[in-house]
Amino acid sequence: MRISLTVNGEKFRLEVEPRRTLADALREDCGLTGTHLGCEHGVCGACTVQVDDSAVRSCLMFAVQCDGHTVRTVEGLAAPDGTPHPLQSAFTAEHALQCGFCTPGFLMLAAAALDEDPAITDDPDRLRELLTSNLCRCTGYESIRRAVRRAADMPGPPD
Amino acid sequence: MAEPGTPGGSVTRVEDGPLVSGHGCFVADLRVPGCTEAAFVRSDTAHGRLRAVDLGVSRQVPGVLGAWSAGDLEEIPLVPVLMDPDVDGGRPWPALAVDRVRYSGEPVAVVVAEDRYLAEDGRDAARVTLDPLPAVLDPQVAARDEVLLYPGRSNVAVETTLGDPIDAGVWERAAVVVEARYRYPLLCHTSMEARAILVRPDTGGGITVWCSHQAPHRLRGDLADALGLEADKVRVVVPDVGGAFGGKSETWPEYLAVALAALRLDRPVRWVEDRKEALTAGPRGRGQSQWVRLASDAGGHLLALEMQTDAAVGGYPHTGSFLPEVTGRMAAGTYAIPQVCVRARAVVTTTPPLCPYRGAGRPEAAYAVECTVDLMARRLGMDPAQLRRLNFVRPEAFPFDTPTGFRYDSGDYAAALDLALRTVGYADWRSEQARRRAHGGTPLGLGICTYVERSGAGGEYGALEAHADGSFTATSGCCSTGQGHATTFAQVVASELGVDRRRVRLIEADTAVVPDGVGSFASRSMQSGGEALLRAARDLVSEARERAAARTGVRVDTASFERGAVRANGSTFTLAELAADRPLRSEARAEPPQAFPFGAYVAVVEVDPELGTVHVVRLVAVDDYGTVVNPLVVRGQTYGSIAQGLGQALYEADVHDEEGVPRAVSLLDYLLPTLSEMPEVAMDETCTPNPNTLLGAKGAGEAGCIGTPPAVVNAVADALRIDPTVLAIPLTPRVCWEAGR
Repeated sequence: MRISLTVNGEKFRLEVEPRRTLADALREDCGLTGTHLGCEHGVCGACTVQVDDSAVRSCLMFAVQCDGHTVRTVEGLAAPDGTPHPLQSAFTAEHALQCGFCTPGFLMLAAAALDEDPAITDDPDRLRELLTSNLCRCTGYESIRRAVRRAADMPGPPD
Repeated sequence: MAEPGTPGGSVTRVEDGPLVSGHGCFVADLRVPGCTEAAFVRSDTAHGRLRAVDLGVSRQVPGVLGAWSAGDLEEIPLVPVLMDPDVDGGRPWPALAVDRVRYSGEPVAVVVAEDRYLAEDGRDAARVTLDPLPAVLDPQVAARDEVLLYPGRSNVAVETTLGDPIDAGVWERAAVVVEARYRYPLLCHTSMEARAILVRPDTGGGITVWCSHQAPHRLRGDLADALGLEADKVRVVVPDVGGAFGGKSETWPEYLAVALAALRLDRPVRWVEDRKEALTAGPRGRGQSQWVRLASDAGGHLLALEMQTDAAVGGYPHTGSFLPEVTGRMAAGTYAIPQVCVRARAVVTTTPPLCPYRGAGRPEAAYAVECTVDLMARRLGMDPAQLRRLNFVRPEAFPFDTPTGFRYDSGDYAAALDLALRTVGYADWRSEQARRRAHGGTPLGLGICTYVERSGAGGEYGALEAHADGSFTATSGCCSTGQGHATTFAQVVASELGVDRRRVRLIEADTAVVPDGVGSFASRSMQSGGEALLRAARDLVSEARERAAARTGVRVDTASFERGAVRANGSTFTLAELAADRPLRSEARAEPPQAFPFGAYVAVVEVDPELGTVHVVRLVAVDDYGTVVNPLVVRGQTYGSIAQGLGQALYEADVHDEEGVPRAVSLLDYLLPTLSEMPEVAMDETCTPNPNTLLGAKGAGEAGCIGTPPAVVNAVADALRIDPTVLAIPLTPRVCWEAGR
């Protein structure tokens, strides 16, 4: 099927099978390999991207479902001039990644949540619930929680 | 020169930039022209005779380029042995099953196609005919040899006895003797990136291999041997690795099949393991059944410990047969028990292959010893902290030779325990526990684990070169899988040379560039690899002083080195200047003996007796890793291993049905801790530097997996006022509810 979607501001016209997942279309057809596949059944959240500003698991969505929609991946998180997103700086500052495989998913999950409501970090339970969405096997999560709080306190996102 | 104990500091990592911006490069991210993708046809039966593999329809699937079972190959490569060559004889492990399968998920055929969707179409079209044989899942049952996995050979692949036999009179004279049985379930490593490999045939008959791996040089040697290639025809490159935890140290059958397919097709072939494969057919850790007997006099002096442990090493003993011996060697724990005797057996079972998993034999030992010590404390009516303190190996007794043949290098176990008890507020919690027991309230328990573990194995290569532009290149035989070597090894070198760490670039994980290496496992990287780089740095300074002395015509002992420069005869030469006209480089090999990090963990839990749920209120971890180069990085790894330890204690288990088919096929079934399962954690350290190295570092990163489970189990038993031996991990609500009734 022929589809078109806008990824990180760039328009892509793709010919995809109906069964092709959004994750595979992003990785293989758009060449954006920052989106990682950790389970391919919607549990781990490593493949989280934003579709029309909402965080979604791109392994559970077909590419054809995104026809005409806007997608943002980790490659589109920094400002166009390369200035890191506050979350990217905060993840480094708080040592919120070790192997880094789950990191793009956590970044896109948290970025969507902060965009929607920056006050989420003021409510420990809401923040915990949010970050419970994704799995990390290296950090034990506490540094990720600290990083998201730190990012919320930094000057606003570049976009 | 850096002061001992201050070689680095909590700096953030240079690795992070690409990883937070989507520009990391894992095996699945590689763009290799013409690359094809592989999928495996696997046995759905745990044990059976392989009658037929029909790939006819698979080969008709559009886009499928080739499909092979063992029957299609004149010669099938054999999987090499990891540590223990004795287990191989009579138990060959073909890359693809030949006439028998010995675990559910065993690779039977490989299908290669233009992309992964098509490869999986081809896989699904394969027809495998098997005659089922009885499954044998429990190592103690398997050891009876009623069902043989290898006809004519015992299922017991390795049997080791450690320590002298215990005098029978000890058990009779002892005031108290306790016995206990434990079952440490099989676990899945569950690195977020599962296994992955890409093999590209090169002109000249060689191959380039990109693999998510912990030991590239060993993989190179193994692949060369198995495929009949010269070692210099195999180049192994390890790109970014999405976690490993022991499951990526080995040369797995899938790797050999992928290499074979690449050579046959003369095209690059990649295999990226999916989560279902990882959970059902991938490597396993732990899996031991244990029996322990412990004797004490009336005053709480431990007299003797006897252990029998049987490990379920899976259908092929090649990668896990050495693990029960590691457990056995750690059976004395932190205690000066006069007599310790262990029988450790590696027993083949119709389960996926066992291999090291974070801790690798030491968590199994700590679990058995620490729960049994708590059991003894209950029988003696002593506080478990006091019983431990009474029996610790004393600081002045090091180096301490255990009855099981290990030499503990150094330690102060009481200091770690005292710090942990102070940090948690032990006396206050005991008061609160007494209050609740008297006046009602949710049952509260405290659990202690004092552990000692082993880190490091074998030597490591390190090299250092100073460049004329003022930068440095460090080369290491280690292989980071998320630990942050590019940051921490640079810190070791920079602090030794007195230069800016950002001028030090690290090269590792490429056999074409790094001449020699062992890899990263057994918490060995800083202990051995950091030591090698420190020695290389000192050698570089010696060479620099000689050059400066020669230039100025003075004796070398009058040339001094400070902050990246040599002063000789009134002149100052930077290392860059001394490297200007000819290379200034050094090579070193560090061969430190094994080290024995230690620590104390205390858990505070509440258990709801009606629901059986465990709430970990507080967890305190005190670890002694010797010298710590980067506390930020080391504490990060401690925290992560605590999370995995909580998973072991409360959630994780690889469960099979009676036929040996895994029940957990997704991450909805195999439960990993999320943020919501994490308790309040407090970490602290004592520092007893490694006496056998210049750097002083001991292994770090695995302790949380070792210390956390016994602390939690002992705490739950304490809350329920039962013997810890009544509980079996993982402590699911059902386990706790039944135990509390």
